[in-house]
Amino acid sequence: MESGKNMATIYTKLTEIFRDIFDDDNLLVTPELTAADVDEWDSLNHIRLVLSVERAFSLTFSAAQVDRLKNVGEFAELIGSKL
Amino acid sequence: MVPESCAVAWNELHEGATASVDFVISEEELRQFAVLSGDFNPLHVDSDFARSKGFDGAVVHGALLVAKVSQLIGMRLPGRDSVWTGLSLQFRQPLYVGRAARVDAVIDRLSAATGMVVLKLKVRTGDILLAKGEAEVLLVQP
Repeated sequence: MESGKNMATIYTKLTEIFRDIFDDDNLLVTPELTAADVDEWDSLNHIRLVLSVERAFSLTFSAAQVDRLKNVGEFAELIGSKL
Repeated sequence: MVPESCAVAWNELHEGATASVDFVISEEELRQFAVLSGDFNPLHVDSDFARSKGFDGAVVHGALLVAKVSQLIGMRLPGRDSVWTGLSLQFRQPLYVGRAARVDAVIDRLSAATGMVVLKLKVRTGDILLAKGEAEVLLVQP
């Protein structure tokens, strides 16, 4: 239950970050979402995204951790594992 | 001859590292910047007008302070291999022609996952804070 609450909080913050970076107030941030689903998700915005998440959650990732992510769901799990 | 920028590698950077650029804007440089930017607001180019608005003289364009931030990032920290990707800056006090000023940067965050360097910035003349903010800079690693 606590884990589910944490994950809901993570997705709430992620939604705010994604909508800001991709300038889309209607963007739905789901576990299945990938870069292929968002037109503006290029390499520079990917860097902005990771940096914004690091700052919003006060944590850091390694390049290897980020490189192996396949979708937002895995990103949220990685964030949750570090909180 | 073009000045050479520093080339600082990622592993040479650390949080808390600092760099600064000292500068004085002359009347001629202010005029040149007005031409370059197209901003001839009399606040910047007419001392009498600026005084009538309560300032001590012609006010240096805020964007010229940003240009000095650019110098610091491109030439000093992180220097040659950096690409500036973001800036936020608040202007607190005016800078006047002929006054010595300094822009200071300190590395606030290094993101190893992205190669991004976050710099906290302050522009001062003496003890007076003119502007403060933050820049995001991507270090393009070979």
